[in-house]
Amino acid sequence: MSDSRDDFIIAIRFALLKKGVKQKFSLSFLILFSISIIFFDKFSIPPVSFVKNIISDIVYRAAVIAVVPGKAIMYVGSQTKEHLTIYSENIALKKEISLLKRDQLDASFLKTENENLKLVLGLEKDQITERDTVTIARVMIDQISPYLKSLLINKGTKHKIIKGMTVFSKNYLIGTVIETNYLSSRVLIITDLNSKIPSIIEGTDVNVILAGNGNKNDFTLDYLPEGFVLEPNKIIYTSGKDGFLKAGMPVAETYLNKKNELKIKSLADPQQASIVHIVRGQLKN
Amino acid sequence: MYTFKYLKAFILKSLPIIFLYYLSFSSFESIKEFQNFTVFAFNLHMILIYFYLLKYPDYLGIGHIFLAGLINDVVIGTPLGASSLSFLTMCFFTTYVRNVTLRPKMTAEWFTFIPAIFFSNLIFFLIINNFSNLSYYYIEILSNSFFTFLFFPIFYFFFKSYQSRFKED
Repeated sequence: MSDSRDDFIIAIRFALLKKGVKQKFSLSFLILFSISIIFFDKFSIPPVSFVKNIISDIVYRAAVIAVVPGKAIMYVGSQTKEHLTIYSENIALKKEISLLKRDQLDASFLKTENENLKLVLGLEKDQITERDTVTIARVMIDQISPYLKSLLINKGTKHKIIKGMTVFSKNYLIGTVIETNYLSSRVLIITDLNSKIPSIIEGTDVNVILAGNGNKNDFTLDYLPEGFVLEPNKIIYTSGKDGFLKAGMPVAETYLNKKNELKIKSLADPQQASIVHIVRGQLKN
Repeated sequence: MYTFKYLKAFILKSLPIIFLYYLSFSSFESIKEFQNFTVFAFNLHMILIYFYLLKYPDYLGIGHIFLAGLINDVVIGTPLGASSLSFLTMCFFTTYVRNVTLRPKMTAEWFTFIPAIFFSNLIFFLIINNFSNLSYYYIEILSNSFFTFLFFPIFYFFFKSYQSRFKED
């Protein structure tokens, strides 16, 4: 009994303290070093944060190069698939264009009517201020780990990007800035489990929280009133209740999936975004 | 000619390290561009570290593993040092298994991989839960760990056949 315990302790000591032929550090030293890094990172001591920002900038740039081969293979695959489906898509697009042209005429009429009514009511036109200035950034890496669904963009504090700024892709909200470095930033995308957006459902006055679920085709609505029946093909807009995002921005849409279950999908595709717009508060239409 | 030959040999020998850094920079998990394949997400870092520390410890230094962990943390956005500590836990467990194993067998090594994954992931969860505000699905992590375990033999034979070229060492 005592011998086996001794063997166990010897094996553990050997694993922790023995250095290999080419090893410069023992395992115990590196473990202690990792623990101290975790503590320094947790308490965000200024010099450590500064060093972390520099490391992040360098690593992000290197990561961009590292993902190039994978992206190139994916690009070739997607282009081939796209090429094969282009004919049927062309027919569908022609139909869609004719419908959109009709809608565009309706929209321009409504816009004129809205402006005239605003004049009658004495309401001023929205002013574009410095607060709304848009910064355009390129997505360096889209990161979908089980822990964090995020994007890395090539603009940082140098370009006046700060935490909390909202990020749009093709006029749809895709996320908020959660980490800034000097030359790069991390955007938490709306599909992430940590993302919560105060929203309102089309055609109702029901206020809900649109929560990410890790998948762009599977959002959840928190605080939905009891007995409320959600219908398919309803757009979910931002409600502006957080006092930060402008009300009325389309974010998601309800739909019936193949199993005839009602689901909510994002209108934007954050993982496909390559160029994004970052604004301090909200995107002007 | 001699320089080229030396360089080629050096790169081939350093390939596990290069591969580990590549995985960290590209944050490899699965064929993530295909939505239907994300269910098969697995942690190739763990397989690589476990295999090399168990069979060929001279080819993969723990200093590199530590650094790759830091890079992985920066890229995926987890607290700095979390992946490093998780990988080092895997190193500790693997070294222990190597020391106490008398007659190595692939099946035995495969099954000792379960507690190794368990402890390294446990460390990772503890750090994520106590040092960050990140939320995640346990089922997703469980599935990731399961496929990491399941795919081990495939990579075991793949890495083994690659290492067979260095038999003379």
